[in-house]
Amino acid sequence: MKKESTKYYPLIPVFAAYLVLFLIGRNVPGMWQLVAMLLFYCALGQAFNIFLGMTGYVDFGYVAFMGVGTYGMALAITKLAHIEGLGIAIIIIGFVMALFMATLLSLAVGAVALRLRGAYFAIATIGVNEGLRFFIEGARIWNGSEGLIFTAQLNQILGRETASTLMTFWADIMVLIIAVSAAFITLYYIRSKIGYALTALREDEDAAKVMGINVTKYKIIAFVTSACFAGLLGAASWALKTPYVFPPEVFEIHYTIEAIIIVLLGGSGTLLGPVVGGLIYGISKYYLSIFIPGFQLLIFAPIIIIIIVLFPEGVVGMLKNRFKDSALAQFII
Amino acid sequence: MLLEQLIGNLIQGLVLGAVYGMATMGLSLIFGVLKVVNVGHGAFIMVGAFITLWLFNALGINPILAVPVAFIVGMGLGLLFYYTIMQRLIKAPELATLLVTFAIGILLEETVKLIFGSEFRGYNWAVGKINLGITVLPMTKIYACIGSVVIALLLYLWFNKTRAGSAMRSVVEDSEGARVCGVNVGGTYALSFALGLGLTVASGVLLTMFIPVGINPYMGGGYTLKAFVIAVLGGLASPYGAFFGGLIFGLIENGSYTLFALIPGVEPFALTRFLSFAMLLVILLIRPTGLLRAK
Repeated sequence: MKKESTKYYPLIPVFAAYLVLFLIGRNVPGMWQLVAMLLFYCALGQAFNIFLGMTGYVDFGYVAFMGVGTYGMALAITKLAHIEGLGIAIIIIGFVMALFMATLLSLAVGAVALRLRGAYFAIATIGVNEGLRFFIEGARIWNGSEGLIFTAQLNQILGRETASTLMTFWADIMVLIIAVSAAFITLYYIRSKIGYALTALREDEDAAKVMGINVTKYKIIAFVTSACFAGLLGAASWALKTPYVFPPEVFEIHYTIEAIIIVLLGGSGTLLGPVVGGLIYGISKYYLSIFIPGFQLLIFAPIIIIIIVLFPEGVVGMLKNRFKDSALAQFII
Repeated sequence: MLLEQLIGNLIQGLVLGAVYGMATMGLSLIFGVLKVVNVGHGAFIMVGAFITLWLFNALGINPILAVPVAFIVGMGLGLLFYYTIMQRLIKAPELATLLVTFAIGILLEETVKLIFGSEFRGYNWAVGKINLGITVLPMTKIYACIGSVVIALLLYLWFNKTRAGSAMRSVVEDSEGARVCGVNVGGTYALSFALGLGLTVASGVLLTMFIPVGINPYMGGGYTLKAFVIAVLGGLASPYGAFFGGLIFGLIENGSYTLFALIPGVEPFALTRFLSFAMLLVILLIRPTGLLRAK
């Protein structure tokens, strides 16, 4: 067991990275948009890592949790807009709704799909994501494929000024808070019984079971935690920054892929990995789209392939090995 | 009237289903042998579609003759990707292979976009149609259906009558056991990957006969998802299962559309898609070996 005082050292580089990002965004003119995007990718990686990195299960339908989170916020705002004097409380209700819907969906999916393994689990989760999208569109739930647009309601409840700061600043701060909390939870899990159980199950699920570990319980804990962060992230980054929700956009499989790339790039199952992965991914995406607009994917695809084939451990995985016995080791997990 | 319409649509579904089935055999073959889910499946179908388009529009070559060309191109791509990439990932976790095949798909899409542009294209192969009374079938669709059945039969013969085919089946059953019995497992992996992609690219040719003006670098995504459902219907690891899964899928897709269209206030097309994914989940949970297999 580590000493109490050094137990939370690995959070230092993570929080330092976020602090630097925040300061750059606030103090360098014109940088906030890029910083907001980087925060989003870091938060996405950090949230997904709790499940993907720690269990090794590939949830290809992860974006569905962001989707229902976005709907949670959208529904709270559209359905409660007529109540006078709610003010900023409506945003809090929105986050509670997002959390509730993501929890509900993840419990339902986790209870059934987590029985499957490997490729079968991946395909099942794609099925959940696509099925949900087409159910919303087909049965015309929540306004079906026309989606929900709630800019007007947001302006009406909060006033134009507040609504605008909410969209361009406070929503990003929420994303930052989500990223930081997810990092904290990740470390807490890594250091607790949950982390040891998940490591055992990631390496060999049958052996872990035989050793008397309740693998189902720990898988569901990681799954639901990860899904809750995704729900909040959807509510903060999608619903509040762009006040509309359309099924094809919020269930778009590319976001799941982006999340997987970030986790893998940084180092799956590590604490610092998603931050590093999010920064590398976000910065390269941003500048590639400026320098070679329209063809960034043509450059990106081979890079992904090369990374997976040559550096499957990711950047942080490699750093961890290099600094194994040095003083830096206690900062990098 | 409704019954006639339903039967008409089911006939269309069966014809399309045969092609769907053939378009999924490659996915199932690769999963069966290598235990790799090819998430870039649809992109290979797209490559086949562009081969057809280019051969027809630039050289005036009959789309039927594009099938062997596409098959050879697919085999070539398969060998290239196997020896440069997949070979190193045989023992890697699912995460790596899922992401790599997805990235290969993107690479193909973007390369085709670079060469041909991203607008929708098509070709016009006028060979008449047959009127069955309750529905009209263009000859192109009938050729595609016959082509699919012939290819499925050839694959069946190849699997059961050739040495390489039996080697492949033995690797599906038990790759360690096959190795012990002297089967060249590495070579079988390479051949299966190439054969699977050859079939997939060839199926792209046949699918263009259903969507003559829908050819686009990003057309594959929808087929990847459909192929997942079909492969699961057939048990995921069995190419013949996939063929029959395709027939069932075609029938359900077209049949349920006719029925959903009767419900007021819904979008029937989206509901048919929902139904297919609901089916996927139910089958994965209660019968992961597919609808046809009893074991």
